[in-house]
Amino acid sequence: MKRNWTSITGSRLLDLLTVCVVFAFLFPYLFMVSSAFKSRLETFAYPPVFLQFTPTLEHFDNIFNNMHILFYMKNSTIIAVCSTLLTILIAIPATYAFARFRFRNKEGIAYGFLFLQMVPGISIVFALFFIARALDLFDTHIFLIVVYLLWNVPYAIWMMRGFVEGIPVELEESAMVDGASRFKAFRVITLPLMAGGVAATAILIFIGVWNEFSLAFFLTSTNARTMPTTIAFFMTHSGIKWGPMFATATIGTLPVVVFALIVRRYFISALTFGAVKG
Amino acid sequence: MTIDRNARRQRPPWLTPALLIMPAFVVVFAIAAYSAVSLFQLSTVDLTFGEPFRNAEPVGLENYRWLLTNEHSTFWATLRVTISYLLGTLIPELLIGFAIALLLNRKMRGNSLFTAVLVIPIVLMPSMVGLIGRLYFSYDGLVNFFFESFTGIRHNWYGKDLALWAVILVDIWEWTPFFILILLAGLQTLPVEPFEAARVDGASRWQSFTLLTLPMMLPLVLTTFILRFMDVLRLFDVIFVMFAGGPGTTTTTLPLYVYRTTLVQRDVGRGSAASIMLIIIIVSLTVILIKLRERIKFEA
Repeated sequence: MKRNWTSITGSRLLDLLTVCVVFAFLFPYLFMVSSAFKSRLETFAYPPVFLQFTPTLEHFDNIFNNMHILFYMKNSTIIAVCSTLLTILIAIPATYAFARFRFRNKEGIAYGFLFLQMVPGISIVFALFFIARALDLFDTHIFLIVVYLLWNVPYAIWMMRGFVEGIPVELEESAMVDGASRFKAFRVITLPLMAGGVAATAILIFIGVWNEFSLAFFLTSTNARTMPTTIAFFMTHSGIKWGPMFATATIGTLPVVVFALIVRRYFISALTFGAVKG
Repeated sequence: MTIDRNARRQRPPWLTPALLIMPAFVVVFAIAAYSAVSLFQLSTVDLTFGEPFRNAEPVGLENYRWLLTNEHSTFWATLRVTISYLLGTLIPELLIGFAIALLLNRKMRGNSLFTAVLVIPIVLMPSMVGLIGRLYFSYDGLVNFFFESFTGIRHNWYGKDLALWAVILVDIWEWTPFFILILLAGLQTLPVEPFEAARVDGASRWQSFTLLTLPMMLPLVLTTFILRFMDVLRLFDVIFVMFAGGPGTTTTTLPLYVYRTTLVQRDVGRGSAASIMLIIIIVSLTVILIKLRERIKFEA
């Protein structure tokens, strides 16, 4: 009887600990969002102001009307959407080949894609800088859209391959026995079944491009500058403009957080290149 | 119909998959090859950043030799910082992540809410995370507030001694959830039977953890570790925004070194040589880790 009681208390304590731990991970984000609504004085107050402040929208007003944040959001959206769609378009046929055909060196080629995916952006960004200058494509949307394919296409292939392999091949085979071509069997049977996986992959690629910093920072200047690289505008000679920065961070991370929560079910396979099913 | 069949049979079996892979292959390998050739070319010249390429003087492999052997080169110091950063982030993240995954792997209300919350640090814009980190770690910042509440002391996180710790702590906050989420998913798919059998045989909780949970989780732990390893080794944005590699060279990991050599010292040749070494280090170490994981998988 007594033992039972201690184990219940123990498990309650563990529950409490879990809540505290999870809150600790959430807290810096909450503090960031709340700081977007604080005045300059409240941001710098020590001890920090947690709840006792009067919310203000001045920073949002500032970034929309004076810092033209919508222009950079538009750039980010164009680049992320185009690069994502192009990636998916190129990656779907390749994914299907890796998942459904047997050919020589299949795994070797698949790993070849993976190794290219490992190349750090910062290590080739200056070479890309010279290439962009030579091709007269510096500070253009199209250059970033194409360059991101180097990382996104291998990622999409590895991600989606698992989804296609999870669909029984017999479904396609029976359609082909009924006289459908391989393409028709793919279009009518497999494509609708992998749509969820494709959508999740697309969203995760979108998040990656939306957040990408090092390439966007060094390959654009004014015309194609994206959201994450606007941080440079907040670091001025007279110090960092924290209020507008927090407001921008709040706006910029909001769509990503919402998207991530939508595809939560796929998040584990997304993080592991499809190696682990969540 | 029969003609169609014959036509299909005559097509070699590799042709269809080859055609399907072709667009992806051409795009990815064309970008990679173009960049690789330019990068290598840049690594063999002496060129100041900002000057046109025609001013470049070919110097062969001199840039590599300089980086590796010259007494003024900070390449080896950079490597030491990189190793400290790797160990300082990966080991705590793995241990804390595993512990929290075990904590979450119990029946309790709100579990799906908790995993949803843990997604947030991972998907935030890294550049913004870096800038926020800079404020939180300032002398009057949030981190010092908590330190003072518990220990009575405030630290200068911007100084030489603690700057690396500050960027490590930011990474731990951002990426421990990565280990938590993946290891939790792994724990939830472990088979139930071995644990029941062990309980019947009178094994303690600790025994069933060390003798069943750990060995069964090992392949997944390694996979997670490899993925994080690759990412930490190429991390640029957060450190760049927080401290740009400083003060001094205390937070200059390899990616920051590439940036500083190319843009701060304006030495394109040495920067490109450092880039190539960074790529070689990442790919070769990852190949070794993947091989190691395969061996462990077969033994298990």
